[in-house]
Amino acid sequence: MTVFSLIIINKAGGLIYQREFQPGLRKLSTNDYLVLAGTFHGVHAITRTITPKLPLLAPTAISSTPTSASSNLASPSGTSTPMTTTTTAAATTPSVSATSYTYPIPGVPATGLESLETDKFRLTCFQTLTGTKFLLFTDPHMANIEVVMKKIYEFYADFVMKNPFYQLEMPVRCEAFDRNLNGWLRGRT
Amino acid sequence: MVVYSFYIFDRHAECIYKRRWLPRPVSTSGSKSSRPTSEASAPATNAPVLLGQSARTTDDDAKLIFGTVFSLRNMVRKMGGEDDNFVTYKTSQYKLHYYETPTNIKFVMLTDIKSPSMRVALQQIYINLYVEYVVKNPLSPVEHPGGVGVNNELFEESLEQFVTRVLS
Repeated sequence: MTVFSLIIINKAGGLIYQREFQPGLRKLSTNDYLVLAGTFHGVHAITRTITPKLPLLAPTAISSTPTSASSNLASPSGTSTPMTTTTTAAATTPSVSATSYTYPIPGVPATGLESLETDKFRLTCFQTLTGTKFLLFTDPHMANIEVVMKKIYEFYADFVMKNPFYQLEMPVRCEAFDRNLNGWLRGRT
Repeated sequence: MVVYSFYIFDRHAECIYKRRWLPRPVSTSGSKSSRPTSEASAPATNAPVLLGQSARTTDDDAKLIFGTVFSLRNMVRKMGGEDDNFVTYKTSQYKLHYYETPTNIKFVMLTDIKSPSMRVALQQIYINLYVEYVVKNPLSPVEHPGGVGVNNELFEESLEQFVTRVLS
């Protein structure tokens, strides 16, 4: 198992951490890494918006009747899935045909890119609840990436977030984080 | 496994073919299978014009997908070297498969997340369908601005068959 490198992107798309652990990927200049972080941040948002939307058939069939608006309102709450239906707009303007849609897997919120595979590496992206993104470049056949990712997040929480001198959203310069991360990853290989 | 949509982009970054499959209304989409592009989904996307995000057309979707694929491809080449290729990416809802020919024609397919790697399938679409029915067609132009030459019956019919029979 090989972990090539780790990149941390803050919630605004800025690069705040970049380390290479094992050679295998090409080295980029600092500027290129900044560009890469920004590009990925944008692409990540777009991949979420191009999620295929499957139309729900029932509301369209009974579109113009006034009851459709109320039945349409009732359906998402009944199924209790976070479907991004157009209920609020349909309620205010009942004349618009109440077309609603669902995601391919109802009940699961749409996320952006989670993992990307190429011939030479696999990129796994983990986004925290606050919007920070962890990008892990690994061998394409590596298993248990979630474990590595979870541990890295743990180190981040322990040694970066708990560091009283760390300023939020700024580049991570915490020696303890580096040391522990390097040590743990070396121990695994 | 479910295929949601399929796109072909030429080397001028233009979408020369797009097709969407909607899994739910099986009977309606089957009857108008010979229509070129996303006709089956047109009522669904055209109706809520006033409703913000869902008013986005299939044209815009194609552009967004091209932008995504283009950026990711460049990113991957920067990291992995010039001969590296991006194969697929996955979100919580769908999977996007990508294949680029040596002539820079890009084939993109969106499927559900449980589907295996579609690299071979996209390659087969290129070799057995695109080359046979579009490139070898003597009446087809060399370039396909606006999808001219790609939207011929043979190609569409066989693509439909390929996706419904071979892939499902």
